Amino acid sequence: MRFCRRVFIFALCATLGVGCGKDGQLKEAKKNVVMVEVTSQTWDYRLPWNPGTVSSARGAGFVIRGKRVLTNAHVISGARYITVQREADPRKYPAKVKFVAHDCDLAIVEVEDPEFFKGTTSLPLGDIPELESVVSVYGFPIGGDRLSVTRGVVSRIDYNAYTHSGRESHLAIQIDAAINPGNSGGPVMQADKVVGVAFQGFRGDVAQNVGYMIPTPVIRRFLKDVEDGKYDHYVDIAIRWMTLENPAMRKHLGRPNDGLGVVVTDIFSEGSSDGILQKGDVLLSIDGHPIESDGSVRLQGQPVQLEEIVERKFAGDPVELELWRDRKLERATIKLRPAEMFSMYEILYEPPPRYVLYGGLVFQPLTANLMGVLAGSADLRLRQTYSLFGQDQIYRETPEPVILSSVLPDPLNVYLRGLAGQVVREINGRRIRTLADVEPALRQGGERTVIRFEGDQRPAVLKKTDVDQATPRIMAQYGIPEASRAEVDGRRLAKGSFSRTESK
Amino acid sequence: MSSLFRFLVMVSWFTVQSGIAAAPNESRGSLVRVRTSIQPYDQFRPWQKKSPFGLSGTGVVLSGGKVLVTASLVANRTEVGLEKPGSAEKCAAEVEAIDYEANLALLKPTDAEFLKGFSGVPLGTNLKAGDTAEVWQLERNGEMLRNQAEILSAGVGRYPSDEAGFLVYGVRVSLPKRDDSYTLPLMRNGMLSGMMMAYDRDSQEGTAIPIAMIEHFLKDSADGKYEGFPTLGVSWSPLRDPNLREEVRALVAGGILLTRVNPLGTAGRAGLKEGDVLLSVDGFKLDEDGNYRDSLYGPTSIGNLVRTRPYVGASAKFIISRDGNEMELSGSYDRRARDEVAIPTLQFDVAPRYLILGGLVFQELTGAYLQEWGDKWSERAPQRLVQLFSFQQEMKLDPKKKVVFLSQVLPSSMTAGYQHLSGLVLTGCNGKSVGSLEDLAAIADATPEGDLVFELMDDPGKLVLEAAEVKSGSGKLGKAYGISALRKL
Repeated sequence: MRFCRRVFIFALCATLGVGCGKDGQLKEAKKNVVMVEVTSQTWDYRLPWNPGTVSSARGAGFVIRGKRVLTNAHVISGARYITVQREADPRKYPAKVKFVAHDCDLAIVEVEDPEFFKGTTSLPLGDIPELESVVSVYGFPIGGDRLSVTRGVVSRIDYNAYTHSGRESHLAIQIDAAINPGNSGGPVMQADKVVGVAFQGFRGDVAQNVGYMIPTPVIRRFLKDVEDGKYDHYVDIAIRWMTLENPAMRKHLGRPNDGLGVVVTDIFSEGSSDGILQKGDVLLSIDGHPIESDGSVRLQGQPVQLEEIVERKFAGDPVELELWRDRKLERATIKLRPAEMFSMYEILYEPPPRYVLYGGLVFQPLTANLMGVLAGSADLRLRQTYSLFGQDQIYRETPEPVILSSVLPDPLNVYLRGLAGQVVREINGRRIRTLADVEPALRQGGERTVIRFEGDQRPAVLKKTDVDQATPRIMAQYGIPEASRAEVDGRRLAKGSFSRTESK
Repeated sequence: MSSLFRFLVMVSWFTVQSGIAAAPNESRGSLVRVRTSIQPYDQFRPWQKKSPFGLSGTGVVLSGGKVLVTASLVANRTEVGLEKPGSAEKCAAEVEAIDYEANLALLKPTDAEFLKGFSGVPLGTNLKAGDTAEVWQLERNGEMLRNQAEILSAGVGRYPSDEAGFLVYGVRVSLPKRDDSYTLPLMRNGMLSGMMMAYDRDSQEGTAIPIAMIEHFLKDSADGKYEGFPTLGVSWSPLRDPNLREEVRALVAGGILLTRVNPLGTAGRAGLKEGDVLLSVDGFKLDEDGNYRDSLYGPTSIGNLVRTRPYVGASAKFIISRDGNEMELSGSYDRRARDEVAIPTLQFDVAPRYLILGGLVFQELTGAYLQEWGDKWSERAPQRLVQLFSFQQEMKLDPKKKVVFLSQVLPSSMTAGYQHLSGLVLTGCNGKSVGSLEDLAAIADATPEGDLVFELMDDPGKLVLEAAEVKSGSGKLGKAYGISALRKL
């Protein structure tokens, strides 16, 4: 998913807003904007046992209330060592990540040393700026080491893809200030207040003067979410709907030509609306806001997508719907929860890749990261399993498809190399639904282990005694410290490990 | 300086001459130039054709006055013409038999007298790797070039319009470009030994259809009823892996593992099943890689054994091992596994079928449609269509039904709100299931008023048009988009 997007991520540096408290704003920015230097490690899904490649990058952040530094998630992803530095203080202070929200590309960094906050005041959050109003972007883009300021106007306010996660779209504000790589996380200010966090833009050969910032409603949601000490994912009503512009369709559904309502075309099982909404329901209003037939609602007089209502909410919050079902008006309340069925399409940053090694055969769960490295070579069945996973609700049967991602050559598996890239169906007669099923299944059966794949592939057959002998040899030869990492501690790390019982 | 230059020119001139011998008299009785005009169908706009273009190649006159060419030279033709070498005499020709899998076509001049005086080329014998041969070619002036060729390999390989593979010769030869195609005869001792079908000028290597394929094709077409090459209807895996052999209890040496068996196919109807080890076919033992020992070519893939050698209707005998028990099964060769499918692969010379209802364009899914998406069709085409086509057997699609899908929407007042839809499989209409465009047309025609509810396999699941509007608006729609017929069934 990441590779097909032309948006790339970088940090943005801000200019002073003319005529909006210029001097005061610059003074405040100088006190509160910080340089964030990060050494991070990126996991290698080809060699999932390796600690990954180390790289260093620089971004920006700013001090917000509560002696915290707000920055982008992508600035601190996979961080192993972070330092922050203020314009007024030459010292670099070690910092660590307190909260990270990859879905909206925001993170909070904490600095232990109270010295660091001496002289900072924290920047207040503003509202959504007006179109064509001037904003200033502060940060540390390439071209120098000191604070940089650029200026531009608000060009567009719309939903947009947040490329860091690979799957999310939220409200984003487009600005035309000069934007350069290396400085994400810096504040965008207007009238002494932060109106956004600079986070992504286009490469110069794709579009000019198009930069994006995360607006304050998204920032406020993040800050509210972490108040309870942890970050939860965005929630979703988990349906598909179609505009209701067609007169014949309206008539068929018994709706007058009033330009209102959208029709529900799909409900994802295990999602928020499962068991509540039905295909063919016409949604007429959401939390009291009438839904236009193109799917928009009015919020403070502005037309926005109906999802915007859900965007501001948290897990467990209700959504009130007015709907038209079987030619009758009905009401429904949905309790929101994250759409875990789509978490497979989300790029993973922190958790170490999970795998099971068996006789040189490497099993990995299907993830966006794995597809990223297999992309060019992935065969049709693997690509289809990935692309139809949500649409065909494959997750109901197989929450986490397991892939034979590679075969490390050894005399033991000389006939099995052609099977790399296949989707595992069963091992020793046991259906494989998640990576956690692999190791118990391998212990089943008689003297031979039989691994069967989706489609008309031959099975892989290995003698258990041969595997036991070969394992130390293979691990030594390929420098693999652990034969498996099937479980990883921490929330959301075990991808796709949600089950029906858990989500109900 | 100038004398050195002349010397170099002389040398190269001799080199060229040594490879080519002019034999003006032989071409008179054996070769004709074939010119075709080609116009492929436009799968994305099924009511129209693409830009026409011309092709030319060299056809071989066989005894009996018919002309053999590759099928690719005449695919999607609007016209085929024969031209005598060295003269302006021309004659239109008809395609008497054609096989796109085997890439062969037999042409018959419309004027029976046209090839009078042509003695025709006799059929030769099979060649093997290391044999020498000649590729005959017509010069523009009608003279004949005989290019020395060497057979590099003879084994089962890919043909342009076939998935499974047939016997093919790898040929090394240096061919000058004389026509728009490399459809040229491969000759030995004045007899036909094969037909060139592809050539790469950089590597100076090409592929040729062996005479065994040509003989099969000619013999099959001789009775006027062409049946084609049989197929086994199985997927298989080599059985070299000793662990796998143990698991499937392959106790005697050799044999291959059947990983899928089409119940309609030659093997399926003979009683072969998934998981069987196929040990021999018609008395030819198979080794672990699926090769039998051919008297001429040595170890050769089973593909040649079951597709080129037998004819449709011939009896087939299999020895298999099932759970360690050897058994003999028999049946007869056919090609039902290839022909009786929901989504056909090959589609030449046939206009794509379509039905436009109020701006919704419905088509039947074919391999030809998917190929229109280009080399990366399996990534670019709608994934549901790719899935149904690629895994149709596994998904147990009914071979008697076609896959009807909404290919695109022509925006009109009737299709407001639907314009962005495409690539959606239609499962039914007004509560009745749809297994062909005829089914859909019948439902639409029988519904003069009320709703036409189209049931789709995927999101949005359902579309509605008003039947009366579809009827009354069709003339206007056709006019607006310049489509003269809103259906082709």
